[in-house]
Amino acid sequence: MNDVMDPATMTFIQVAEVWVPDGDRLVLEKGNYGNLDAFAAASHKESFARGEGLPGKAWAEGRPIVLKAFDGSYFKRTEAAKEAGLTSAVAVPVFAGKVLKAVLVVLCGDDDARTGAIEVWKETDGVLRLEDGYYGAAKHFEWVSQHTHFPRGQGLPGGVWAAGTPILMRDLGSGYRFVRADSAEKAGLSTGIGLPMPAPDGATFVLTLLSARGTPIARRFEIWEARAARAGSPREATLTDGICEREGPLWAEENPPVSPKTATAWQGPIGQVLGSGLPFVKTDGVGLPAGYRSMVALPIWRGDDLAHVVAWYL
Amino acid sequence: MTRLVVIGAGMASGRVLEHLFDAAPGAFEVTLFNAEPRGNYNRIMLSPVLSGEKSYAEIVTHDDAWYAEHGVACRFGERVTGIDRSRKVVTSAGGEVAYDKLILATGSNPFIIPFPGHDLPGVVAYRDLEDTAAMIEAAGTPGASAVVIGGGLLGLEAAAGLRLRGMEVTVLHNTGHLMDRQLDETAGYLLKKDLENRGIRVITSANTKAIEGNGRVERVVLEDGTTLSSDIVVMAVGIRPATHLGQAAGLETGRAIKVDAQMRTSDPDIFAVGECVEFDGTLFGLVAPLYDQAKVLAKTLMGEDDAFRVKELSTKLKVTGCDLFSAGDFTAGEMREDIVYRDPARGIYKRLVIEDDRLVGAVMYGDTSDSTWFFGLIKDGTDIEEMRDTLIFGPAFQGGGGAAADPLAAVAALPPEAEICGCNGVCKGRIVEAIDGGAASLSDIRAVTKASASCGTCTGLVEQVLAVTMGDAYASPAAQPVCGCTDLTHEDVRRLIKSRELKSQPAVWQELGWTTPNGCHVCRPAINFYLLADWPLDYADDPQSRFVNERNHANIQKDGTYSVMPRMWGGITTPAELRALADAAEKYGVPTVKVTGGQRIDLLGVRKEDLPAIWYDLNQAGMVSGHAYTKGLRTVKTCVGSDWCRFGTQDSTGLGIKLEKVLWGSWTPHKVKLGVSGCPRNCAEATCKDVGIVCVESGYEIGVGGAAGMDVRETEPLAKVATEEEAIAIVTAFVQLYRESAKYLDRPYKWIGKVGLDWVRDQLADAEIRAGLIDRFEISQSVYRKDPWAEHAKPDTARRFHPLADLNVEAAE
Repeated sequence: MNDVMDPATMTFIQVAEVWVPDGDRLVLEKGNYGNLDAFAAASHKESFARGEGLPGKAWAEGRPIVLKAFDGSYFKRTEAAKEAGLTSAVAVPVFAGKVLKAVLVVLCGDDDARTGAIEVWKETDGVLRLEDGYYGAAKHFEWVSQHTHFPRGQGLPGGVWAAGTPILMRDLGSGYRFVRADSAEKAGLSTGIGLPMPAPDGATFVLTLLSARGTPIARRFEIWEARAARAGSPREATLTDGICEREGPLWAEENPPVSPKTATAWQGPIGQVLGSGLPFVKTDGVGLPAGYRSMVALPIWRGDDLAHVVAWYL
Repeated sequence: MTRLVVIGAGMASGRVLEHLFDAAPGAFEVTLFNAEPRGNYNRIMLSPVLSGEKSYAEIVTHDDAWYAEHGVACRFGERVTGIDRSRKVVTSAGGEVAYDKLILATGSNPFIIPFPGHDLPGVVAYRDLEDTAAMIEAAGTPGASAVVIGGGLLGLEAAAGLRLRGMEVTVLHNTGHLMDRQLDETAGYLLKKDLENRGIRVITSANTKAIEGNGRVERVVLEDGTTLSSDIVVMAVGIRPATHLGQAAGLETGRAIKVDAQMRTSDPDIFAVGECVEFDGTLFGLVAPLYDQAKVLAKTLMGEDDAFRVKELSTKLKVTGCDLFSAGDFTAGEMREDIVYRDPARGIYKRLVIEDDRLVGAVMYGDTSDSTWFFGLIKDGTDIEEMRDTLIFGPAFQGGGGAAADPLAAVAALPPEAEICGCNGVCKGRIVEAIDGGAASLSDIRAVTKASASCGTCTGLVEQVLAVTMGDAYASPAAQPVCGCTDLTHEDVRRLIKSRELKSQPAVWQELGWTTPNGCHVCRPAINFYLLADWPLDYADDPQSRFVNERNHANIQKDGTYSVMPRMWGGITTPAELRALADAAEKYGVPTVKVTGGQRIDLLGVRKEDLPAIWYDLNQAGMVSGHAYTKGLRTVKTCVGSDWCRFGTQDSTGLGIKLEKVLWGSWTPHKVKLGVSGCPRNCAEATCKDVGIVCVESGYEIGVGGAAGMDVRETEPLAKVATEEEAIAIVTAFVQLYRESAKYLDRPYKWIGKVGLDWVRDQLADAEIRAGLIDRFEISQSVYRKDPWAEHAKPDTARRFHPLADLNVEAAE
């Protein structure tokens, strides 16, 4: 196999950016804008107060926010987004306890051609219900999701809620009985990753990213366990699960027994997340697994401890 | 080339082949039989396949290309039917294959308990891909439900997977806690809690009676009558080595096929590996020793020296988010010492078992990050004497870290933003501020910051912050903890058992951060009482947490014999009862018959082995236990009252009998004695009882808090009422209030001294509170108003009372 895979002609997420608090405002730390240079330039000029714009709103409300139309909304970069063909955005605040560490914003567009799902589930009356979600062309799946709820332990969202850890699921459609499998299969969704989203007010949110083969969110997903880092002096994480179109399964196989892959603070891309506790976006291939050009890594905090890192690559 | 035939393409034989092809490529011509229609896959990863977290393709270890590359003749889906050792051939449907060397790797078969209905379609074991596929298929029906029989590793992984697939899942486990072979009670409790948090119903101590359905599984019925609807039943109760082929071929077998340390069977050209093997009396079910065996067998086949030896094993449960670990031996023993660490807020429990300065066992739940290090210490038998004090904190604290050695040093090192009280979000800095502002005691801190004002588990930590900040100026409070296992007082424990709905002993040990695995002889009886008093329907009384007299339902005497005293309701008896007592005394050679101060007859000097029989005889005569040995209602002493006495104002005997019939059998913090006198002349001596009623012309004067032991006290007036019904209601409510709020082993007068008689009066005067107390007492009595003799007088139970050893030593405790 060649070192570089065929680049996906279209990806579900077109822009990923990390906003970090600087005094009382959020400023851009890093973004992956692909070839959307004008939108990148507009973003570099921007900053957000608490409650202002999409990142500021996610900060103020302490929960992930899905925004499916920019016109007439609080979104501040509407014109630039429109010119870049971006139509929707999801902002994911990262809290350590009650402290905001950063806000990850992803932007999508070209709704009729790209399929995938970014969903926010919220616990209400003892079950998880869809708070909001962006599905691109997967309209039927969106409808099914709006009419589905998950008790504790059931399905990807319910499983993440009960386990309190990220979960990666394979083959969402084909043959396997993903709770929404039929519709997922029709939409071409193949891989799903669910992330617990701790909110400062204690409410329960679960974020799910469902990736389709034609317009993938990512071709490689990784879940790193970072809880061991809290006690020992070297801040280290171990790769507990992952799937890669190139390398296949990424978990530490027990046949033959091999030690799981580890990452150390400040060393390599995952190490940046372990060291800083912030989301990390990479736009060149340096230090990434062979064949990949970009990655987004998101820390999951449990109280004041960094518990997991979830990364996705293209 | 050596002709090598392998029967079974599982993980162990697959590993043998890998070693052989690595070390001696081309040396072996391999024929591989497998009854399953596929090659080697990572069977232990079937659980994540079931849950959808892995795909089957990901767990295939050897694919067609691998077998082709190494020239393996694959005979998959073909069952070997016989081995002819004299001709050195194996037989299958496809004919005969000759061997020079033969490996038996037939694995194991799941054990199916032959309940009625065990052979219905829909009952599956959990062993291979077919079973997994059947479960996934069953989960495809919306709203479908599953019952998993067996709460061990496999059963729980199946349950979690099926739940993630959207099923309603119930786990049935026949002992008291899950994974009882790998976990202790506390870890089992935390695991149960974790699974219940996933929406899985867990029933422990469950006895399955039958699996029922019309042509297919529809329900599972338990011995207690519980019926669980079920579309699929997964039986995961254990495995049995598949020894049939080896046995038929005349190989030496015990519980499995016997091998030596080179994995050779009793035939020098036949080897065995994996779960079908017995080595030195040991069977194998986990993967680690199988790989060790595979390595040894490969070397043996290549003519190299190596020897298999049994090593320590550790356990891991593959349920995402369930962090548990266990290794070694963690049963309690005289020479053993436990180190226990609990962090109730994070749901963490760690227990290390030490013997002769060596770690021999470890159980962990919630945080297993140091498990590899602990496992290493167990395997290597490392001397841990030097690091004993900090051992539980793991490797990061060894080698002079020191922070954990002195709890105060650890608290001093905490930054100001470190959270002390999780419930109210109070950090260390806020507490230090409050101290600067003048707060000098725990109650000051509670008032100013709310720290430790909710669940109270951080109380010790807050006190340490006070000590670190104020130094000598801080005098720690005099409140006595229950015992050395905890810093909490009885009052704290009672409050927390109620507010946090703790309904089992493991729940108390874990959630309240007990420092010992299972409490001690001081706290266990108290906790047992608090639990049964607060949760009568949820908690089952634990006889092992009782004093010996309560356990044996009789008072032990100084010569090791027992006394037997039936109830005489209100001090009234009949000629028939007296005859039965006389007969029993004679039949069992009772040396002393004594009339007691409580108006009953005591048979003294009964041998322990005669107890069930004498109880049986007295039961036959209509008499029940007098509970003369309990922290509970003892006797109700009465005078003859208005029926016979010229001075009697009311029917004191009748009221006494009614009260005794209401109250008998109830457990209380300490013993409770009642008296009812028919007039102020007080012939029943009611005014020195825990509850004493003196009848007067206008009704009933109820006094409480009397005593006539080492302390002598007169009762104090509680209430005066006009009718018998009111008197019974007040007394019942009083006893329940005492049960709900007193410290264990405080007699009512001591309790009243602490809470104040005014408070008791106020509680009972409030009609709503009073009615609630009576209701709760009745609920409790629905369980406990019964004769303990009756159940032990049965021949089965009676065996327990026959002396197996000299129990006098235990009794003397």
